[in-house]
Amino acid sequence: MLVSLNWLRELVDIPVDIETFAKRLTDTGTEVEGIEEPVPLFRGALTAKVDTIEIHPSRQDLFVLGIDASGGRRAVCITAARNLREGDIVPWGPPGSILANGTEITTRDFEGVISEGMVLSAEEIGLPEIADEFGILRLDPGTPPGEDVRKALGLDDAILEISITPNRGDLLSMVGIAREVAAVFPEAALKPLAPVIPPRAESLEAFRGITLDDPDCPYYALGAIDNVQIKPSPVTARVRLLLSGMRPISNVVDATNLVMLLIGQPLHAFDSAGLPDSEITVRSARKGEMILTLDGKTRIFEEADLLITSGGKPIGLAGVMGGEESEISGSTSRVLLESANFQSIRISRTSRKLGLPSEAAYRFARFVDPFKVEPALAIAMDLMVSWGAGVFGGWIASGDPGCATRKVTLSSGLLEKIISTGDLDMATTILRRLGITTADTDPLKRVYEIPSARPDISIEEDLVEEVARIRGYDLIKPALPPVLHSTGDITDRMRAERAVRSTAMARGYSEVITYSFVSPASISALRFPDTDIRSRPVALSNPLSVDISVLRTTLIPGLVQAALKNIRSGWRGPIRMIETGMVFIGKGEEVEEILKMGGCVCPGMDTRSPWGEQAVDDLHSVASDVMAIFASRGKTLKLVPGSEPFGHSGKTARAIVDGYDTGYLLELKPEIESEFELPSAMYLFELDMEPLIRGGNAVFGEVRKYPPVYRDISLIAEEGVCASDILELIRGLAGPFLENVRLFDVYTGKGIPEGKRSLAFSLAYRDPEKTLRDEDVDRTHGRLRELLMEKGIKLR
Amino acid sequence: MGIIAEDVRRIRSVFESELASAGNLDEIQKIRVRFLGRKGEVTSLLKRLGALPPEERPEAGRVLNELRDSMEEDISRKESECEGKEVALRESGEWTDVTLPGRGRPWGAFHPVAQIAQEAIDIFASMGFSVAYGPEVEDDFHNFEGLNIPPHHPARDMQDTFYLENSLLLRTHTSPVEVRSMKKWGAPLRIIVPGKTFRRDSDQTHSPMFHQLEGLLVDENISLAHLMGCLEAFANRIFGRNLAARYRGSYFPFTEPSLEMDVECVVCSGKNPSCRICKGTGWLEISGLGMTHPNVLRAGGIDPTRYNGFAWGMGLDRIAMLKYGLNDLRVFFEGDLTFLNSTGGDR
Repeated sequence: MLVSLNWLRELVDIPVDIETFAKRLTDTGTEVEGIEEPVPLFRGALTAKVDTIEIHPSRQDLFVLGIDASGGRRAVCITAARNLREGDIVPWGPPGSILANGTEITTRDFEGVISEGMVLSAEEIGLPEIADEFGILRLDPGTPPGEDVRKALGLDDAILEISITPNRGDLLSMVGIAREVAAVFPEAALKPLAPVIPPRAESLEAFRGITLDDPDCPYYALGAIDNVQIKPSPVTARVRLLLSGMRPISNVVDATNLVMLLIGQPLHAFDSAGLPDSEITVRSARKGEMILTLDGKTRIFEEADLLITSGGKPIGLAGVMGGEESEISGSTSRVLLESANFQSIRISRTSRKLGLPSEAAYRFARFVDPFKVEPALAIAMDLMVSWGAGVFGGWIASGDPGCATRKVTLSSGLLEKIISTGDLDMATTILRRLGITTADTDPLKRVYEIPSARPDISIEEDLVEEVARIRGYDLIKPALPPVLHSTGDITDRMRAERAVRSTAMARGYSEVITYSFVSPASISALRFPDTDIRSRPVALSNPLSVDISVLRTTLIPGLVQAALKNIRSGWRGPIRMIETGMVFIGKGEEVEEILKMGGCVCPGMDTRSPWGEQAVDDLHSVASDVMAIFASRGKTLKLVPGSEPFGHSGKTARAIVDGYDTGYLLELKPEIESEFELPSAMYLFELDMEPLIRGGNAVFGEVRKYPPVYRDISLIAEEGVCASDILELIRGLAGPFLENVRLFDVYTGKGIPEGKRSLAFSLAYRDPEKTLRDEDVDRTHGRLRELLMEKGIKLR
Repeated sequence: MGIIAEDVRRIRSVFESELASAGNLDEIQKIRVRFLGRKGEVTSLLKRLGALPPEERPEAGRVLNELRDSMEEDISRKESECEGKEVALRESGEWTDVTLPGRGRPWGAFHPVAQIAQEAIDIFASMGFSVAYGPEVEDDFHNFEGLNIPPHHPARDMQDTFYLENSLLLRTHTSPVEVRSMKKWGAPLRIIVPGKTFRRDSDQTHSPMFHQLEGLLVDENISLAHLMGCLEAFANRIFGRNLAARYRGSYFPFTEPSLEMDVECVVCSGKNPSCRICKGTGWLEISGLGMTHPNVLRAGGIDPTRYNGFAWGMGLDRIAMLKYGLNDLRVFFEGDLTFLNSTGGDR
């Protein structure tokens, strides 16, 4: 909300400088986000009276003005504007003064006539919105000449941009802010606004009455202004509206807006002639009813919307916006002025649903005090009459505003518990400044009367907050909470995530965090068949863009995208990225979240090094990384040949942990690789974090007393037979003394038949009870060779 | 005997000149073999002892043994001389460029937000807070209603929400885990909730996905002072020095009273009016906080007449930006390796 400091000063003293003012208001919860001077460059112009107007001797399109800025200051000004009459008060920029755009005004010769400065338009002052006609801005009659235009127009002001929290509807008005200022600064005296409310009439002339047909409109008042003359409102009123962030429209509309800004009560002016019947009924909408609103849009309603109707037809959307048919126009002769109260939630709902955040709806959604209905109506009608917009035609009302106060108890004990002081006298002093009173003097418990303007105060804790924030939070001395009932645990999930992080980083991986939402295309690029649940991501109903419109069903798209971004921006080194995070699987009404660990590896473009070619990352180096991560949580990961829709059919492994398929490790399918225009192979893995969470520390072995004996075995296998299968076979056949088998050579080529490969293993035998003798090992190893040959394995 | 004596003289003289000219251990070894080996010259002489007349034998034997011993001694001396020279030569003649890049993979890189989360969690764990988790896809009750934000409440405008079908949504804060945890564990309770959160917002300081760290403590007789104590201890630890803190009134539907906490600018301490980080204010907003609203305790099944508590929420991304002096939040989620690996890595 924009708050004019000049306007605020009319309502309350401001006893400190503006910076201190802004800081203390901010500290108590009413955040001042900015302070601005209106049209800051505009300087030096004076108000002046137009004494004479003559046509320029040689230029028919120019006028020579004789102007009087009082105090003996007279000048001649040339203007092309045609809207001036003798006696008008205008802004005059003498030579040396500065326009809003920073231009300095000089003396100019117009074909023999010297113009001493210039008379100014609204645009030159920097306020084009207040212009009501072409030409020079004519100031309000009665404006004294010789005054600084900044002062005369109310531009010698500071505009505070204040952020009002949603619980403080009462602060969406000048009087509300003034009340808060008086509470924050005990030395600031409030200058109360006490409008005289004319007596309420039984009926209005030629108007049947008001019917309230919905409890969400408890109170509705309607005033009549007759013999209406629609004109612009006074210039100073227009400036004030503009500085408060609203556009001037006409005397009637401007009056309603100024009063809304002042009191916080939204008002609506109907052109009486635009009403289908001489009555007004407030009721719920019927489904399908519609209206053309003031902004020129057709709105179709549901039962939940609250309408202002006349003769059975909607004429306005209660508390949100009026209809076009009853809009004030130049021909309006009778204005019916609505000042009513509507229930917050009802208005909020309609306004949000229709996407219509009007000033009125904004205030009603945050609560408007029903006791503002009458004063607002009175002030607005008074303003219209004083501006010559028409004559007072009486006012009527239906319903009632309810209770003026509500009682809430505050105990010394709770105050003490929360803010470390239980002084109720101090509390009472502070609360009184907020308009909250009590007659009690009990030191332990008091009942306070909460004014209807503060619906946000309904429980004891609310009063504690009022006292605490005005008193100042900085008076509370910080202390650690006393009793520790248990120690803090980071949980196994966090331990697992940390193991992934530290292990992967030590092995050269960069940890990345990518968006949980991705583009549908990035998922379909992975070629999941329809039967694969990952092909059907959960979609956002209101995404920001299509690139982030569905929840990821796998970590791969985000990782691939990050890798591509790096490659395209010229990264030549190896890419090793790891991410842990949720993937989202739609299951009927539910969305299942699964914690995954995923990675993406691309070998670097430039593999030169001082030691010759660097070891290039490949499926096997990545396998070792993934195994290391699992090992760090005491888990053994086994790879078996498998498949994934986006995996190279010959280079895809399933990862088995504790006997379960936990994920995959693969080289990206060449077809996708070329689609992405990748310069090299890309390796991807994605595994469930679950086994890592279940896992604990690394597992340790027993210390062996007797030395091992090593034997090698070399054999020839069909290509396609997995090393791990042969390894398992050896383990199964080698007898009790085999401690470990390690593959140390894989060879194809010279000496090995086509379609076969040679595998060589190193076996470690050990007897935990005694030192093995060579001949024992030879016997065992020989037996193994025989058994392998019996299985059809060809030994070398 | 004469023959032997002559041989001894000859051998001795040849040996001495050869040994003197030997330059390394190999050559010395050859000399040893030539003279003292199984077929060496001294050994051959010894073998000829049997051919001498018996009366000459003892003297000849003594002479030959003396010769052998003295040669053995000379060789050993020469050997250790040579060894010393060679060791010295190994240091003076060999060199390696210790500035060559290390071989093998360099260290990777941590993500600033994950790193901050880890540090923050450890700090709060040391104060007795345990980590709690909750779903990122939430329902309306836990994200809003249970937190005292009824439907159509204007406070919903404070957080622009991503919705899914079936009235599910992406949690806009980590606060839903407060209610879930209270229902699960009851009171007393000390939890922190690190996690991803989502709002429909994107600019330099707003990302549609970001990270929060929520905290909740429920116990008997808990005060604002305790909340301030915990958060100041945290701020001082995470930024590595004691920082001034201040509190401002604020509004969150799920706390009453509600506050904002600012700490002294970690970069300029309020001394630089054109500071890029604090924009010259000298203060950095780091957390929203407050005493848990009784309605929230009730939604979590806790009796607000017996227990009360406090809660806070802070942006981990923001703390990472402050701690590491970064100014664009969106690069956090692009996986840019020049950004992440700015402290290491190979390229």
